[in-house]
Order: sequence, then C-alpha cells, then structure tokens
Amino acid sequence: MTAVDTPLLRVRGWVSRRRPWFLAALGLAAIVWPYLASAIKPFYLSLTIDILIFAIFAMSLDLLLGYTGLPSFGHAAFFGLGAYVLAYIASRSDLALNLTSNLLVTLPVVMLVTAVVALIIGFFALRTSGIYFLMITLAFAQMLFSIAIRWSGVTGGSDGLPGVARPTVGVGPLSYSFGSRTSFYFLVLLFFVGSYWALRRIVNSPFGWTLRGIRENEHRMQALGVRTFRYKMAAFAISGAFGGLAGMLFAYYLRGASPEMLHWSTSGEVLIMLIIGGPGTLIGPMLGAGIIRGFSLLISSYTERWETLMGLLFIAFVLYAPQGIVGMLRQKEKEPDG
Amino acid sequence: MNQKKSGVSRRDFLKLAGGTAAAMLAAPSLSACQALGGGTSGPITIGLLLPYSDIYAVLGESITDAITMYFDEIGNEAGGREVQFIQEDTEIAPDVAQQKAIKLVEQDEVDLVAGIVSSGVLMNLRDYFHDNQKLLIVANAGANPISRDLKSPYIWRTSFTNWMAPYSMGGWAAENVGTSAAISVPDYAAGENNITGFTQSFEEAGGEVILVQRTPFPNMGDPAPFMAELADSGADLVYSFYSGGAAVTFVQAYSDFGLHGQLPLLAAGFMVEEDVLPAQGEAALGVRSTLHWSYLLDTPENNEFKQAFRERYERDADVFAVQGYDTGRVIAEMLDAVEGDTSDVQAMIDVLPDISFASPRGPFSLDANSQAPRQNEYLREVQMVEGELHNVVIENFGEIVDPGDNSQG
Amino acid sequence: MENFIIQFLNGLVFSMLLFIMAGGLSIIFGQMNVINLSHGAFYLLGGYVGLTMVRQMGNFWLALLIAPLLVAILAVVIEHFLLRRLYGAHRHLEQVLLTFGLALIFSDLIQWNWGAYVQSVPPPELLSGHVPVFGLDFPIYRLSLIVFGVVLAAVLWLILERTRIGAIVRAGVSDAQLVSGLGINIHLVFAGVFAVGTALAALAGVIGAPVTTLYPGLDFEILILTVVVVVVGGLGTLKGAFAGALVIGMADTLGKAYISEFSLFLIFAVMAIILLLRPSGLFGLEGIGT
Repeated sequence: MTAVDTPLLRVRGWVSRRRPWFLAALGLAAIVWPYLASAIKPFYLSLTIDILIFAIFAMSLDLLLGYTGLPSFGHAAFFGLGAYVLAYIASRSDLALNLTSNLLVTLPVVMLVTAVVALIIGFFALRTSGIYFLMITLAFAQMLFSIAIRWSGVTGGSDGLPGVARPTVGVGPLSYSFGSRTSFYFLVLLFFVGSYWALRRIVNSPFGWTLRGIRENEHRMQALGVRTFRYKMAAFAISGAFGGLAGMLFAYYLRGASPEMLHWSTSGEVLIMLIIGGPGTLIGPMLGAGIIRGFSLLISSYTERWETLMGLLFIAFVLYAPQGIVGMLRQKEKEPDG
Repeated sequence: MNQKKSGVSRRDFLKLAGGTAAAMLAAPSLSACQALGGGTSGPITIGLLLPYSDIYAVLGESITDAITMYFDEIGNEAGGREVQFIQEDTEIAPDVAQQKAIKLVEQDEVDLVAGIVSSGVLMNLRDYFHDNQKLLIVANAGANPISRDLKSPYIWRTSFTNWMAPYSMGGWAAENVGTSAAISVPDYAAGENNITGFTQSFEEAGGEVILVQRTPFPNMGDPAPFMAELADSGADLVYSFYSGGAAVTFVQAYSDFGLHGQLPLLAAGFMVEEDVLPAQGEAALGVRSTLHWSYLLDTPENNEFKQAFRERYERDADVFAVQGYDTGRVIAEMLDAVEGDTSDVQAMIDVLPDISFASPRGPFSLDANSQAPRQNEYLREVQMVEGELHNVVIENFGEIVDPGDNSQG
Repeated sequence: MENFIIQFLNGLVFSMLLFIMAGGLSIIFGQMNVINLSHGAFYLLGGYVGLTMVRQMGNFWLALLIAPLLVAILAVVIEHFLLRRLYGAHRHLEQVLLTFGLALIFSDLIQWNWGAYVQSVPPPELLSGHVPVFGLDFPIYRLSLIVFGVVLAAVLWLILERTRIGAIVRAGVSDAQLVSGLGINIHLVFAGVFAVGTALAALAGVIGAPVTTLYPGLDFEILILTVVVVVVGGLGTLKGAFAGALVIGMADTLGKAYISEFSLFLIFAVMAIILLLRPSGLFGLEGIGT
C-alpha cells in the first residue's frame, strides 16, 4: 500500500503509537463504568452486560462465518443449549438437578457439552455448503427448539427452566458469590476479554490461517493436502463452545433458560450483528452486538414503531456500510477519496 | 464506491428516514412523561410491562387503554398523590421483558409494576420481582405455579389462573353434555394447565377423557389435519383452548369440516372472546365456554364500563380490558389504603386481601392464599345478538377461587 | 385408510399453498441469485390488501387480480431503488440484511395500518360449502386450492419451457452475462422476475387468507416454511419448488395428523435428512447456492 495520508489513518497511527495508554484508558473506563452507571442510569449497566454477552455470542459465530466462510443460521442451538445445560445443573426447579452453581463445575460442563453437540451437528451439516448449510444448521437448531418445548419433564416446556442460582466460584470457605449486578458485570467482562483474547489467538494461529484458506478456496487447501473437514469440525466445536459460554452467562443473568433462546429469531439476530459489524474481524461483531441490542432495547422505550426504525437502520447499513462497520473503516483507508 | 447511478440519492434516503423517525418519536406516547417515583411525595409512577408488538399487542393495548381509563375517571390521583405511567414493550421475549423490568424498577424507580400477558414471561420474571421485593400486579398471565409452588408475596394477580375456566367447565360438561371427551390444546404450559383442570372435574363428575390432542406450539399452522381425529374419536364433546390466530383458524376449520353442530365444542372463554369473535364469524355460533366475564353480563357496573370504553376508544371492550380496569382499581384502592406511602411494600401487600368491589365481571376480591381473584365463573354461549356475535351468559357458576395447590388439577 | 385419504387431501391443499409461495421465491433466487427474506411480508401484504378490497368491493376475484398487481408494482420500486445495488453471490449477506430490514418495516407498518387483531377473509360465494368425503365434510374452497395450484404449476412450467421469455429467464439462471451479451436488457428481466416472484407471494396471500387467516407474525411463520420448501426441493428450479412443497406439505400434515406432538420437529428432521442424502436438495441445480 502506498503511503496515503487520511484523517482516519492519522487517528489510527496516533492510537497505535499510544496503544498502552489507550488500552489503559479503555480498561479504566470499563472498571469505572458500573459505578458510574449505577449512579446515573442503572439500566445502562444491565444493558452493557446484555451487550457483552451477545458480543461473545457474535464473536463465536464470527469464527465460523467470518473466518471459515460457514454461514450458520442455527447458532442459537449452542446459545440455548448452554443456557439449558446450566439451568439443568443449577436451577432449584423440581425438574432440574439443583447440583451447584459453581463456575468451576458449570463452565467446563457447559463448554464440553456444547462442543460435543457442535461436533455431532457439524459432522452432518458440513456435508453441505452455502445456502444449504445455512438451512441445515437452522434445521438442527429448530429441532432442539421443539425438543425444548416438547420434553417438558426435563426442560420445563414453554415456561423454560427458571430458578437458576447466582454464579459462585471457588472451593469451600474460599468461594465467592456474584450476587450484585456490579460483580456480575465484572464476571461477564472477564469472560468477554478472555473470549476475545482466546479467539484472537486462535484466528491468528496457523490453525486460524488454515481456516481463512478454507474460506478463500477450499479445493486449493485440499490440493495442498489439508484435511479441511477436520479443520471445519474443529472450528465448529470451538465456535459452539463459545456460543454455549455466552448462553450460560445469559441464563445466569436472566436466572433461567427459556425456549426463545433456541429459536431461529435468536440465530437471525446474531447473524445480523455480524453482517452489520463486519464478519471476519471479531471487533465488528462486538460492535454489531452493541448496535442491535442497544438500539432495540433503548428505542422501544420511546416509540411503538421501533421495528420500522430498526428496518431503516438495516437498509442504511446496506447503503452506507455494505461491508459492515469495520469494513467501512477499512474501505475508507484504501480509497482515501471514496 | 460507485453506487450513485440509479435511484434515490443518499440524501433523499436520509431525509425520508429521518422524517419517519421524527414523526414516530413525536407520536403521543405514555412514556413521554417520565419522573422519578418512590417514597411518599411527588407523583406515584407505575410501570406497565406489556406486549405492544405482534399478535399479543391486542391484549397489551386493551389492558393499557382500560387502566388509563380507570385512572382518568378518578382524576389520576390515588392516596393523595398524582399517578403516572411508564409503558414498556415486552414483546413476547422473556429476555426483553427482564431488561425492561430492570429499567422500570432500577432506573425509572417506579413504585410498582403492572401488566404481563404471557405466562412464559411471568415465569421468567418471577425471581426478579421476588428477589427485589418489588410489587407486581399481573393483569393477565395465568400460569398456575405463580399461585401455587412458585408463589411470591410480591406477585398478585387481578386476572385468573389457568385452572379456573377448564375446571369450571369439566363438571358441567359431564353432567350436561356427555361423559366422553376429546381435548385439543396447544402443546405448552397453559395447554397442560387446561388438560389437568378439565380432566379433574370432568372425571370427578363421572366423565372420561378418551383423547388428548396436543398441537404444535407456538405456530399451529393449518389445523385441518386435527379435525379428522376429533371426528373419529367417538367422543360426546370436544374441549379446547386456543387464543389469537389459532383460535380463529381452529374454530373455522371445525366448522369448515362439518364438525360444527355435530360434535359440541366447549372451550376456555378466551377462545371465543370479543377480540377473535368477529374474525371467527358464524363458525363460532353455539360454542360454549367458561370465563370470568361476558360482554353481555347485564349488571350496572358492566353496562357502565362497556359504554365508557366504547365512547372513549370507539371499539368494544373485551375481557382483557376488564382485567386492566380492575387492575387500575386494585392499585388505586391499595394506594388509598396506605395513604400514598409506597415506601413500605409489605404495607401495600397487607391491604390487598381487604380490597373488594363490584367489578364489571361481578363481585371481585383478592384471595390471600392464591394471591389471585375470587370471582364468578360464567357459562356462556356464542349467539347472534342484534346482528353481532357475542357470548350470552347461560349460567352463573358462582364464586371460584384457585386452591393454591395442585390438589384439584 | 379413509382417514389417510382425507389427510392426503389436506396435505395436497397445504402443499399447493406452499408451492405458490415457494415458486415465487425459487424464481427470484434462481434467476437473480437473490436471497429474499421479505417474501413472507409480501404474503401478508397481499392478504391484507386483498382483505381490504373484499371489504370495500365485496369481490374476491377482483382482489385476486389486483392485490398481486399492486404488490408487484411495489416490488418493481424496491428492485429499482434498493435491490439493484446488491446483485451477485458475493453480496448475499447484504441481501439478507436489506430484505430482512424490509420485512421488519412491512411487518410493522402492516400492524400499524391493519391492527393486531386476527382477520379472516371469507372464501368466495361460488366456492363455499362442502362435499362429503368419507363421512367428513370437505370444504370445496380447499379442494379448489389443489386445482388452482396444479394449474398454476402447469402455466408457470409452460411459460418457462415453451416461451421466449421463459428461455431468457432459464438462460439467466445459468448465465446472466450470456443473456446480456445477447443484447437483452438484463435489468428489465431482473425487475420483471422480482415483480412476478413477489406477485406470486401476494397471490398466495389472497388465496391462503381464508385458510391461514391474517395476523401479525404470520409473515415470518410462512417465510421459514417457504425457505424450507425451496431448499428441500433444490434452489433455482420450478420442479424443485413443486417437489419440495409436496414433501413439506405432506410431512407437516401427516405429522400433525398422526404424531401431532412431534410435527414441528418432523419438518426440520425431514429437511435435514434430505439435505444429508442430497446436499443440493431434490432437484437443485449444481453450483447454485453452494
């Protein structure tokens, strides 16, 4: 790339030269935020938690759609499954086990179960591609949805499984309960940063570059001797596990699991977050999650016609930021006069 | 980026979008008047958590209209303080409902919350209101567990429980219509509540349920395939519980396939309520149902209420409006009893069982055990009355109250 | 057996309704390579416009003609101002965003204009009433839906296979550049295809309204079913849409009739199994949508 001078590049340069300071400021803001929000607008704190959870969910799908080129329309399967597995372990409902709410147990169990289920679904779904893949993943998610409704002796049916205890961590006297909203915020923030860090490492590893290769040209990768099916399976499992993590956090937050978490509209919502933010960037899906959740939960307090506004927002994105927010920023970089 | 060839320019689009947005934001909305409540002075704020989008919007709007009508009638004042509302759209999504509850309770600091249409939403909100010790007056959702094993001192209902209508119907059906029944309900919690409630009293009265049909939920789709099984069942009667779109398609298919008039159709009253009757048309004629209200209930309170509602909103009241109206009255009388002091939630709860009045639905009071109404249950039949379809009251079954446990279905 | 024949008829009725929807969506996808998530909204819009016309003029047949026409005009406008910017397989995600946005707007504005109450449309006088089929009265209107669906399928097939326009459209399915190379205005073809496909959705809405009734949320219910049908049948062919409609219509109806608790599960299980056996659907064109 030739050296062009644009305001955006200048800002980027300025930020990257002061990266440690910038990160420190961001970190400080993240730490101060719950106290600030509680004092001024308490709802904004719960909104932030909501957005952070959906950001994890959206990033997990990005590994599939953005980096491996697999458009899943059934990602709610893992989100909902994570929520139900947690609820089944940690709810005090008669239907559930009511074992423990300790993250040392629930976290590995949830991520393991969702990864295994992702492997099973992936094993079948990965035999198709493109729109057929989109629809077969939808089919699996909808099957889980109808199981959640039907198998009411275990799942609580349409009411879901309420009564999940607050998360705890630790052993015996050394355990801590995330009772307050502020402490729960920090828990979610920790998982959010951890997930971003882990997924970033994954996509920038040789494994991640192989996934990108599959996205660009699967046949060429196969010709190079890469067993692409195994890579795609691995991507599916990792993506499913992080989706399950997000679902688990959401069930902790809402104190229960409900069938809506498995519904296709949840899959659609996270897909839209990705498209709006820009797939294949990890940061983009985060921003997308913020825009969609923030916009829909805030604007509906002011007008009953919020769905129309949402639709107009989507169309505006198609017209002005067709590659998503991150894509738009990069585009401007490449074509300084565009 | 070369997209300027055809069509509207971006500026035009923005103008259009902006204009639409501005027009909508300017539309009159109850939520415009926001103020901090809590304590003993200044206006009392009441949060309304109701669905305003999709099919449940009908219920949300009826309840909202009637509750505001009641407070307008009493001058928007209770317990010596001004009363204000903040409306929030729950959609039918438990997660959205919970976020909106947090906003109302923690940010808007409302003194209490009223509303809730869907049972699934209520079940998911239960812990939030219980843990935060915030008073929730439920104006519709009938999930049985909220009056039973999941009872919370902070959640009271002015509507009904899902046990009331089916239990009232069962005994009467066995004695008056026939002793073998087929049941058709949607496959979800309220459907199950209807199965157990009806079966209990039907079998106590010597009847036998020979077929239970659980149809897909949330989207039933075309009910035609269910008709043959009902026709072939050999039952003396069909008991059923559907609402919204499913209520209309089911009743129409029942008639289209010639079951109407051949096999008596009994139902929980919501299935043939005023909100769906016009769409069902003559297919609904003769359907008998049980409910805690009827449009044609001939009492001074009901006639007055119907007329006021009609004049104000230019449409007929339905049972949801009655529930909203009574919710308003319960809240107002409670606030009067505590003299406008909303700082002590226990004091507010303590006065609730003492509230009783003549409602459009008949004598109304709150039962301290089930935390749901003591109210009459009516047997109704859809008839053509002066060119309009309405539910004619055939019999008043008298007072019913939820047992507060699962002993009676 | 008698019960089965009745259920088979029910299945045919539902299949034909699905076919009218799926045919439109399939043409749009096959010819324009556009994923159209607003197809369900056009069903509902067609139904409501039809309802208003039936109420205003009392003539079902006029509604059947005019409602699809009005919706087709709307489609041309959308194609010209919005969709035209987004052609090409590499822009599928943007198409999803645009058409989903449109679906949200229509869904909301429809509720604004027609309200959230359930509305029903009476079938035309000519087709009301029943005929006895094995002891059960079968509505004539539903039987006529079967006939209508089959006739429509035949007409569409004839147009596509036997006319010059059909040849252009079919050529467009496999190679849009070839078509424009022949000096045919591809923009006009695309606009026409989108209008016809959308008009079919509106037509399904008018015809289907007496069966499905009309209410907010029906648009997305129908959309998902239609997409399932198109994918099961295979993208881009009319034959596929017809076969897919039969498979899903039958699976749904027989599932409801014999294992009602699992019928929701069944449709998606059938789709998954078919896609596992035939990864491009039953009659999908090679290389389209994969």
